[in-house]
Amino acid sequence: MQTTASSSLPVAQQAASMPVPGPTRPYGRYLYLAVNIAILIFLLAPIAIVVVFALNPTPFIQFPPVGVSLRWFEKFFASRDFMHALWFSLEVAVLTTVSATMLGASAALALARGNLPGTRLIVATMLSPLMLPAILTGLALFQTYVLLDVGRPTWGLVAGHTLVTLPYVVRTTLAVLHNFDTRLEEAAQNLGASPLRTFFEVTLPLIKPGVLAGAIFAFIVSFDQFPVSLFLVSPGNETLPVTLFNYLKFDLDGTIGAASVVSIVLAFVVVIGLDRTVGLRSYVKL
Amino acid sequence: MMKALGPLSRRRFLTASASLGIGTIAAPYVARADDPTLRITGWGGKWGDIMKAEIGPAFESEFKCKLQIDSAFPYLPKLQASSRSAPIYDVMHTNSNEQWAAAEMGLVEPKIDPKLVPNLADVYPYAISDKIVGVSIFTSAIGLGMRTDKGYNGVTSWKELWDAKYNGVRGGYVIPVNSLGQAFLMMCGTLFGKGQTDLDAAYMALEKLKPIKIVDFTGAMEKMLLSGEVGMCVIHDSGIYRYDGQNQPTDFVSPSEGVLSLEQVLTITPGSKMKELANAYVNYMLRPEVQKRLAETVWYSPANKKVKLDAKYDAKLLTTPEKVSKLIQVDWKWYNERKDEIDQRVNRIFRA
Repeated sequence: MQTTASSSLPVAQQAASMPVPGPTRPYGRYLYLAVNIAILIFLLAPIAIVVVFALNPTPFIQFPPVGVSLRWFEKFFASRDFMHALWFSLEVAVLTTVSATMLGASAALALARGNLPGTRLIVATMLSPLMLPAILTGLALFQTYVLLDVGRPTWGLVAGHTLVTLPYVVRTTLAVLHNFDTRLEEAAQNLGASPLRTFFEVTLPLIKPGVLAGAIFAFIVSFDQFPVSLFLVSPGNETLPVTLFNYLKFDLDGTIGAASVVSIVLAFVVVIGLDRTVGLRSYVKL
Repeated sequence: MMKALGPLSRRRFLTASASLGIGTIAAPYVARADDPTLRITGWGGKWGDIMKAEIGPAFESEFKCKLQIDSAFPYLPKLQASSRSAPIYDVMHTNSNEQWAAAEMGLVEPKIDPKLVPNLADVYPYAISDKIVGVSIFTSAIGLGMRTDKGYNGVTSWKELWDAKYNGVRGGYVIPVNSLGQAFLMMCGTLFGKGQTDLDAAYMALEKLKPIKIVDFTGAMEKMLLSGEVGMCVIHDSGIYRYDGQNQPTDFVSPSEGVLSLEQVLTITPGSKMKELANAYVNYMLRPEVQKRLAETVWYSPANKKVKLDAKYDAKLLTTPEKVSKLIQVDWKWYNERKDEIDQRVNRIFRA
């Protein structure tokens, strides 16, 4: 049987002689660009629709829009209920961020360094609120508060939000601790630094990206939290998502869109604010 | 001269954050007065606005109490989760179907004592009929909503909703979660079968309604009708009349077979520690002047026979015994006992 010259070459040589698809191929770049644009559209389209709805003067969703109006923003900012809900949501989100960050970062440090028995089980337990439907978490907490006869206090709401945001802080902090070089701490202590000083001047700056990432998640998850809040808000102290839900049962107009735009802008402002004050760029390196 | 604020130091930031936190948590306790508190549920929207602005404060002032209105759904699961001896609400305001479910679980008292609520003597019979738990303080009429600019004139019967010309512009509800949808299902049994409880006839009628656009909330249906996405739909009269004076091309049709009632019902919880105040509140909500104010704000038909509405409202709402006689009440007790089975079946119908 006759064979061709190329088929008689060793496999390695054949592979080496084959053309290698390179990054310079134009269709590959176009495909890459198209996929990225599609993902961006997928992510941003809902926001764009909300903005269009908020600026459209008609009291219902209409496409194409018939004009541009700020009437729904005026209605939103003139509403005492919405304003109260907005500020209350911000307050709860700030308190939740502080508590979840302190507890989550401390827990992550203990888990990473403490040589605790059953570490994996503890980590799984700490992440379990993410597995459970949040509405059940809200209902369970509500029943607990009822049993304790404490009503529906604001601290109870903050505790509920902390419970569901804690896993984010634990996870992101554990991620940076995983690659942490403990010799840096040992060096600081060898040079005479106390454990507390070592923590604040060596450990914390190095794990800051993870802690900050968790804090940002905690703020955003708390600010947008609906299922847990549904059972835990008290009359007169409703969060913005709960107020929006109650509102849309009766009035589905552009005020919902305006409130959503304000929420998006606020979340953006918080992230930018954290960048300016604490340094978000370090998170990007994560 | 105002002192200029310096840069935001870490210490100042922490102090401000701590103050904010303590203030937020402590505020409700600091602000709470010693007045007795009546805990009730209530709607949002215009109902909530007028309750907060006028009706609620007037009650608080007259009865020297604090009215705590929970307008965050869901009411029934919260009441279920709270203790029977110390319920989370003293008075529950919700629709009839939910009230029946609450009554079946013993969470609300099935009837209101007329001796403690004298205004009960003045309500239309439907408001305290055997189809009602507690008392219905208002009702809406569920009928057909239609566009007036699409040539759909002369509609008089429920059955016209099945006309093929409404294919693509017909509107209905997600029956498992919407009272109007549930009431309409019972109406289908009446229209095409032996009565409200003829579920087989109702299911067949629902099959024939397809294609239909279905929504969860009545507010969403209102907007679909306003935008023209829907041309003919099941809706309550308040959902159409509330746009009165805005030149919207929509109208409400009371079908000749009758309109379904969507009752606003008040009940008192058995474990309430504020029974006297709770009865006073129910009586207050049935006062002619309170009924008139609310009816003319939200376009609900008042339950008190003595209420005299302004001509504009009187012409459209159910304010006479003749008009009220058109109301068809749903047997919610019967419906709730079969709700799971009905939910499964209608989900299959509309999923297909």
